[in-house]
Amino acid sequence: MPEEIFHLKNLSFQFPEDELKTLNGISLKVHRGERVVLTGPSGCGKSTLLYLLNRLYPLNCDGIVEGELSLFEKLADEYEAGEINHRIATVFQDPDSQFCMPTVEEELAFTLENLRVPLDEMEPRILEALQLTGLTKLRNTVIQSLSGGMKQRVATACALIMNPEVLLLDEPLSHLDPYTAEQFVTWLTALQQQSNLTIIAVEHRLELWKSFFEREIQLDLNGQLAADRQFTSKHAVSFPERQNAIQQTKALKVAQLSVVIKDKHLLAPLSFSVNRGEIVVIAGPNGSGKSTLMKSLCGIYKRTTGTVDSEGLGYVPQSPEYLFLTQQVEKEVAYSNASNQIQLDELMESLRLVEIKDAHPFSISHGQKRRVAIGAMLADKRPVLLMDEPTSGQDAAALLELFELIDQRSKEGTTFLIITHDMQFAASLADSVLLVKEGEMTGKFAAKEVWDNAELMEAHHLLSPKGVAPLAESFA
Amino acid sequence: MLKSWKLKEVVLMSLFAVVFGIVYLLFVHAANIWAAVIGPLAYEWMFGIWFIVSIICMYIIRKPGAAFMSETMAAAIEVLIGNAMGPRLILSGVIQGLGAEAAFALTGYKHFNILVLMLAGIGSAVFSFIYGYFISGYAALDPSFVALMFTIRVLSGAIIAGIGGKYIGDALLATGSLRGYAIARAKKGDVNA
Amino acid sequence: MRNLLHDMNPSVKFILITLSMLAIAFFFNPWTPFLFWVSIILLQLTMSRTKWKLWLLFMLPFSIGAFGYLWTTVVFGADTGGTVIWSFAGLDVTDEQWARALSLAFRVMAFSTLSLLFAFTTDPVKFILSLMQQLKLSPKLAYGVMVGYQFLPVMKDEFIQIQQAQRLRGAKMQKHSWQRLLSMRQVLIPMLAGAVRKAERSAFAMEARGFTGEPRSAFYRPIRIGRIDILMSGVFLVILFVSCAGGSWLS
Repeated sequence: MPEEIFHLKNLSFQFPEDELKTLNGISLKVHRGERVVLTGPSGCGKSTLLYLLNRLYPLNCDGIVEGELSLFEKLADEYEAGEINHRIATVFQDPDSQFCMPTVEEELAFTLENLRVPLDEMEPRILEALQLTGLTKLRNTVIQSLSGGMKQRVATACALIMNPEVLLLDEPLSHLDPYTAEQFVTWLTALQQQSNLTIIAVEHRLELWKSFFEREIQLDLNGQLAADRQFTSKHAVSFPERQNAIQQTKALKVAQLSVVIKDKHLLAPLSFSVNRGEIVVIAGPNGSGKSTLMKSLCGIYKRTTGTVDSEGLGYVPQSPEYLFLTQQVEKEVAYSNASNQIQLDELMESLRLVEIKDAHPFSISHGQKRRVAIGAMLADKRPVLLMDEPTSGQDAAALLELFELIDQRSKEGTTFLIITHDMQFAASLADSVLLVKEGEMTGKFAAKEVWDNAELMEAHHLLSPKGVAPLAESFA
Repeated sequence: MLKSWKLKEVVLMSLFAVVFGIVYLLFVHAANIWAAVIGPLAYEWMFGIWFIVSIICMYIIRKPGAAFMSETMAAAIEVLIGNAMGPRLILSGVIQGLGAEAAFALTGYKHFNILVLMLAGIGSAVFSFIYGYFISGYAALDPSFVALMFTIRVLSGAIIAGIGGKYIGDALLATGSLRGYAIARAKKGDVNA
Repeated sequence: MRNLLHDMNPSVKFILITLSMLAIAFFFNPWTPFLFWVSIILLQLTMSRTKWKLWLLFMLPFSIGAFGYLWTTVVFGADTGGTVIWSFAGLDVTDEQWARALSLAFRVMAFSTLSLLFAFTTDPVKFILSLMQQLKLSPKLAYGVMVGYQFLPVMKDEFIQIQQAQRLRGAKMQKHSWQRLLSMRQVLIPMLAGAVRKAERSAFAMEARGFTGEPRSAFYRPIRIGRIDILMSGVFLVILFVSCAGGSWLS
């Protein structure tokens, strides 16, 4: 039997603010070289468990620990501050908030300085880490200028430069689009094969990992161990079949719309129209002008030429709280005064906002925030909704909820234009697809025409929605 | 003093400084234009925006040094983002921070009600005015004019920084995002609010 | 020669500039700040690679401020005595008063130029590293500030996006400063709530990489104090001395 890395004996954990324990009597062992995934519904304490393993908790939240936790066969409390982090490295989920230095090289050096590595050993270790992670060319690049996927790679390089024995991953793919996520997994798989790292990951997008993991530890909502078993590959979320609800009236007519800001042609003249109840997915590579299109439609950006004729355009940003102006859900929906009380009551009812009507719009869940935002837009008589990346960072349950919400609203005559990278989601929902590339509209297609057209998909950096499922099956 | 500080609290102060740094830039342009018409008075009412960071941070974190360190970090960040006032901001940041800190220290870091927060705003105003008196040579001005400047600055400190700081701190607490900070625990009743 | 100001140790430069300002603040004659101001511009002209167009742009608001200072000091100057040199709209201005007004206006110009010299010739990251290495600033604070610096572009962008989104909801851009100040809350709350989240994530990421805030044993980028710093300290002190002595003698 290989060496014991983690040993939990009846471990419980409670935040000082909470009435209930987040983790409840967990006992398990992890041995060197294992590849473990932690699963469970959101809020079940997966990340909390991870943070106990790398000793960010209990100190950072003044949490209460019961039971026993041993790391490398020594009690966790016997380690000095920071000592254990030399051996256990972590990659977090948000690619935008993991760095404190400007360039890749300086970020790596920061890590080495923390470990008190002598100056003359730093250079060779930086070179080695860069080579291992394929980042040699980006050594002097400014981190904030990199894409999300590359940032996660830099974060991994920073973890690996410590020569850790354990790598903890806290939903490392959740902010990456499927295309980038797949590349990241391929890359990490190759890396794991070269070393004998022990890996523990929290992850809900398991289909992307194919057969990477060998063991699955599942927690339930009470923070208890629900299952500890051999890992089997998972299918992507499957969405129900839906019937389109397209009506005959036009909800949006765009003619010769173009945007030029500071002599830069962000959007070449484009024209299209959308019917009431239609669901349009806007897709294209990063920086292709999708967001510009959306913002110029709803009037955030000034149009240089063209006309937009609509029943009223609403906008739901990726972070719905950007829209919020009041301190109460009910007031938020009623803010514009464009709907009467009966209409408001109906909206609140159909968007399931009645039970949270007195809550602060910031303190509710992400899905609820989005429903509030949609409610506010509809109450403001904006029945054509533009949604910017609503799928980013969402787990399976949240995606299903989003699917049902959009499906339901479209039946009631709401029109949707949605930017998303998640082709699985797009394929199950879209009536039509508007492809954008380098500031030009390739065209507005019936959804079915797009998914089978490999050439079109590749040209717009899209991952076939069917590509993931059969692969997972072959490993099952 | 820093030993008892969590890193997340230090980084929080830094990011708050960035937010208010951006806000400050919005107003300083307007003040620059006014400065030609009404002289140094144009800047006086704005001082409260400067002081607010230290008051909000102390209101949230409630540890000795929070006001002083946050104001100093705010000044350092201004220098980093290329504020043309440059290095002189650091010294004035230190002094303003000490002013607010003094008010909290006077009350033994036990009370964080509106009066104490206003007192902290006034503390910053008084300290910064004494420093300004020296470095900008207010001695050359008519005493009644100096008194007017002083009054505006103290009012700005008490109202914008003190009342405004409490208003924003409470609004932020209501969003539920301050879980894990002293302010959220105090509201539960185990420390005097 | 053109590198001298850029190659100086940032902490040494910072201390020299702070010292100079504190010293100049003791003088109320017009010549000292004037001499100092001109010398600093000459210094920057000869020993730096400055984009002067940009410099002028930055200098403009300060010049306006200096003008404001000039007339306020003339109108609201303290009683100093001296002979009346001109009268305007019932206001007598004495030679003493005029000298003081000029002195304060030049002081604004001198300090602004000095600040710009620092801003134009100092790499912000090196400045923080130097504060930590030479002035023993706690790494906890130094890297805390560094994180804030990295987030600046992200948060500026966020600020604009929030304003845009809220304007769409019908939140109006206020005309008057005080109204804008009050309506700031709507933008500030989402910004600050986001900042709390970001702060925790960044701090965790740093600690997970073994950062404890303890002083470091070795620096990848050592910032040193060298011969240039001794030389430049000399130059600064000479300028300071000449301005102080020369100014007093001239008036």
